[in-house]
Amino acid sequence: MSAKSTLRAVSCSVLFAVFAAGLFAGYLTHYSYALQFREVPNAAPSALHPLGTDSLGRDLFARLLYGTRISLLLAPAAALLATLIAGVFGGLAGLAGGWCEKVVLAAADLSMALPLLFVLLALRALMPLDVSPVISVVATFLMLGALGWPSSLRVAWAAARELRNSDFLLLARAGGSAPGRILMKHVLPHLRPVLFAQFWISIPLFILTEATLSMLGLGVMEPLPSWGNLLKGLENFSAVRANPWMLAPLVLLVVVVISFQLALPAEGELA
Amino acid sequence: MSAGISRIGRRLLLMVFLSLAGGLLGATLVRYAPGYGMDERELDPRLSETTREAIRSGHQLHSGLLSYYGAWLARAAHGDLGRSEWLDRPIAGLLVERFPLTLRSVLLGVLTAWAAGVVLALASLGARGWWVDLAGTLTSGFLIALPVAVVALAAMYLRAPVFVAIAAVIFPKVFRYLRNLLVHAYEQPYVLAARARGIGHARLLLRHVLRLVGPPVAALLGVSISMAFGAAIPMEALCDSPGIGQLAWLAALNRDLPLIMNLTLVVTLLTVGANSAAELLHSEAP
Repeated sequence: MSAKSTLRAVSCSVLFAVFAAGLFAGYLTHYSYALQFREVPNAAPSALHPLGTDSLGRDLFARLLYGTRISLLLAPAAALLATLIAGVFGGLAGLAGGWCEKVVLAAADLSMALPLLFVLLALRALMPLDVSPVISVVATFLMLGALGWPSSLRVAWAAARELRNSDFLLLARAGGSAPGRILMKHVLPHLRPVLFAQFWISIPLFILTEATLSMLGLGVMEPLPSWGNLLKGLENFSAVRANPWMLAPLVLLVVVVISFQLALPAEGELA
Repeated sequence: MSAGISRIGRRLLLMVFLSLAGGLLGATLVRYAPGYGMDERELDPRLSETTREAIRSGHQLHSGLLSYYGAWLARAAHGDLGRSEWLDRPIAGLLVERFPLTLRSVLLGVLTAWAAGVVLALASLGARGWWVDLAGTLTSGFLIALPVAVVALAAMYLRAPVFVAIAAVIFPKVFRYLRNLLVHAYEQPYVLAARARGIGHARLLLRHVLRLVGPPVAALLGVSISMAFGAAIPMEALCDSPGIGQLAWLAALNRDLPLIMNLTLVVTLLTVGANSAAELLHSEAP
């Protein structure tokens, strides 16, 4: 087993463990993410509170587990949405060519020219600041999915365009295959590795963007935890110096993002 | 010569198209945003229906999207970008006041990131460059895994200027991309052949390798300016630096849509301009 494969296996195991911890948060902690222990705010780690409590007396371990669930379930969902948009429109543009290709690429160029964070802020500003936490979660990740497709679309388009001129598609067309059959039997299997790579790359990107949005107070709303709004606690430097375990969400986020980067299989292995 | 002029013309046309389309998108968002045109004065029971109607007309509530957009374009052509609803000040004035600070941070940040990225990428390819490569890869791998807002907090904690934080966000992308490009370029058969013929390192780099990596590097330069403007929002918001990034954040918190849309358009124009300049630069290169 090469060093790269070992590293990939370790990264996958880390991701699996973190994902499972988030999914089964209810079994790993007895506390709700919103339950307050008002008598022990900013408490140090103990048997009762493995990562201590925050300034409102909420158990940080419980909040981290439930925040992991939200970030690790919704970031892939947003990445799936972005990849679907990219796959459908990029594939269509690459295969059809002509005006369809021009329109789709112009839309992608326009979207890529718009700075993502500015547009996210503008869209978030359309909603009131006091939206319910659940709506804020859905809206944040929906916006990420709906805006994060342009670079993936360019990749899907380039892959589909190569297929358009390929011999096997020419033979399929000459053999009388219907467009639907060509798409399902010949095109999609070839685009799958490219789309999977784009999906995988988008997940850490969306996790990081959500974290920044939430730290700016424009992402997931309290009391729902996400990695982003857990990191808001880092703004209080004196509290972090006194309670270094407040860095746990940051450490987990960095480990997960690096694991996502290391776990992506090489190009040849995706096919 | 004429091919170059037509290429510049095409890029300018694309810039105009993208700006108009971006403006239309922005106008759509502002015009159809919930609560658009609502004015607290309308709640005043002392006002007559005629006065209320005049207030509504002032907000162009009866106009359609295209006439609203047309009016905005006509005003923008005369330098009037409208008023900020939250600050009750002309948006153009706010831009003139705050833009230079952001531009300075962005340009210095991009320059610093590129200087560090180019030096480290070149050093990592040297004979004893494995430790530079390892250090650069680990640093960039760590920095790329941090949310931009956390980099901003670290800069605030270390009392580093905003441009250093922007450079820390741009550097990992520049280093990784450049390093991979250079590795690929040095593996090309004609570069290997030139090296075998005993051409010096500097000449090899300038005459053969740069010619190959020039176009993608120029494209990344354009993209890094766009990334730097995006990074300026959390940097300026968290480091309390009064530039347009902080203004965009405050505008979002205060639901000042006309202000944030104008800011987005200005940054979009700059981004498209930077990308077009980068594209022309590498297409003009020999």
